[in-house]
Amino acid sequence: MSKQTTLNTRSAIIQVFDGFRNELDDHNDRRERLIKSSRDVTNLSKKVIFLLHRIMTDDASPEDQDDHARAARAVSKSRDKLKEIQNLFAGFSHELQGERFWRYQRAVSPGLQEYIEALSFTYYLETGRLISYHEVQKTLSDAEGNNYFPLSVEDYLLGLSDLTGELMRYAISSIPRRGGRAKANEVCAFVRNCKADFESFTPYIRDLRKKQNVTSQSLEKIEDAAYAVAVRSSEYDLPPEILDDLVSRTMSSAFGGDHGGSTRRKRPREDDQEGMEYND
Amino acid sequence: MDSANLDFINRMLEQDSELREKIKDQVTEFDKKTRTMTGLLNKIHSTPTAQLPLLLDSVQPILESCKETTGAIANLVPANQFWRWKEMWSISLRNAVFSATLIEYLRSGTLLTLPQVSDILGIQPEWQDKFTLAAEDYLHGLISLVNELSRLAVNSVTLGNYEEPLRISAFVKDLFAGFTMLNLKNDALRRRYDSLKYDIKKIEEVVYDISLRKLAPVSGK
Repeated sequence: MSKQTTLNTRSAIIQVFDGFRNELDDHNDRRERLIKSSRDVTNLSKKVIFLLHRIMTDDASPEDQDDHARAARAVSKSRDKLKEIQNLFAGFSHELQGERFWRYQRAVSPGLQEYIEALSFTYYLETGRLISYHEVQKTLSDAEGNNYFPLSVEDYLLGLSDLTGELMRYAISSIPRRGGRAKANEVCAFVRNCKADFESFTPYIRDLRKKQNVTSQSLEKIEDAAYAVAVRSSEYDLPPEILDDLVSRTMSSAFGGDHGGSTRRKRPREDDQEGMEYND
Repeated sequence: MDSANLDFINRMLEQDSELREKIKDQVTEFDKKTRTMTGLLNKIHSTPTAQLPLLLDSVQPILESCKETTGAIANLVPANQFWRWKEMWSISLRNAVFSATLIEYLRSGTLLTLPQVSDILGIQPEWQDKFTLAAEDYLHGLISLVNELSRLAVNSVTLGNYEEPLRISAFVKDLFAGFTMLNLKNDALRRRYDSLKYDIKKIEEVVYDISLRKLAPVSGK
């Protein structure tokens, strides 16, 4: 049998429970620290997402002649902030070594998923693609390639699933701008594919079903917007960029130089004449 | 999602799913064993003290056989993933702790330590990151032990044993003193800890009853 003796006095029992207290305190304190760190990550990640939306819908800046330049600027600014978040992860990764990671996975999960949302949004603006599991894990590792902690498939998928909501916002706020209609259609196709891919994962991951429902709603919103665009542009037999020009010049002549892409003031009569020019 | 990524994710999900099934099978086995032990141990409430050792001996082999199950589960769990899967077998493990500590109390009137219970259940120290007896599971087992002993205090008297409630009272008070030292969060452990005071009250009432009627032995042991 065991060499140790059983406990038969109050003092022996108290001593053992003293040990339990220290153990539980240590665990609870660590958990609290990690929850706080996770909140910091969430905070910064949300800022990145807002930053991306802000830059992509900012028409006033003269340096963004086209969408590509704007996207490049957004991505570059975002990457700096993402690096900050990655450093945060590095900072508390020592608390998640070995078997500890799974003990505290739920504490860091919310922040991690928000980070993945910000990261994948940036990646989409840069490449038009969905970031892979391995690429995400790579951002969560040091210069030598050691992972800060293992990336769970659940967190990867759940973080990615939230991306479709941001893309919906991006698509819809793009529409009033130059080239926005084409953009909306692109995003629509992309989100539709995402939804299809994720459908096969839902049986395995509990919270994914709810997120799929949100994705479906987002997709419908983009589809409705794309429909409106298609119906209206069919009424005018003009190329989409010309339509965008017409709309933006109408906006600027109605409200002055502060709104819309054009800063030139034009009276309605001049707009009509210019529109007619393109008709032959 | 590009196809390489899609394949990878699908493979990971499949693997996890299969592993979950295998662990579930082992947990079902574990559960059968602990239920059998609990069933047998229920008889203590109607077994005279003299016949207790025989009853406890009958439970012993089943307790022994738990070693196979803990070994099988430890074999399945990937390295460092103890905390990922432990909820699957928590209930069975806590019941096993309960049975082991109850048997020891009935034999010697003392409390098995966590390492001792681990040993009895065949849990190897090198399995630390895959299968271990966590403090919270041990503590839950102990609370079940106290719940059971408060019942035993009542039934012992019915069986004509007037010493047992006194022993139980001292033992349970010691345990409770230990529990009050913990800083508990508002979780399941805290809620069950709160129920301990009712067990203590129940036991005290039994002690009170037999003391007043001078049923309890007057001198020491």
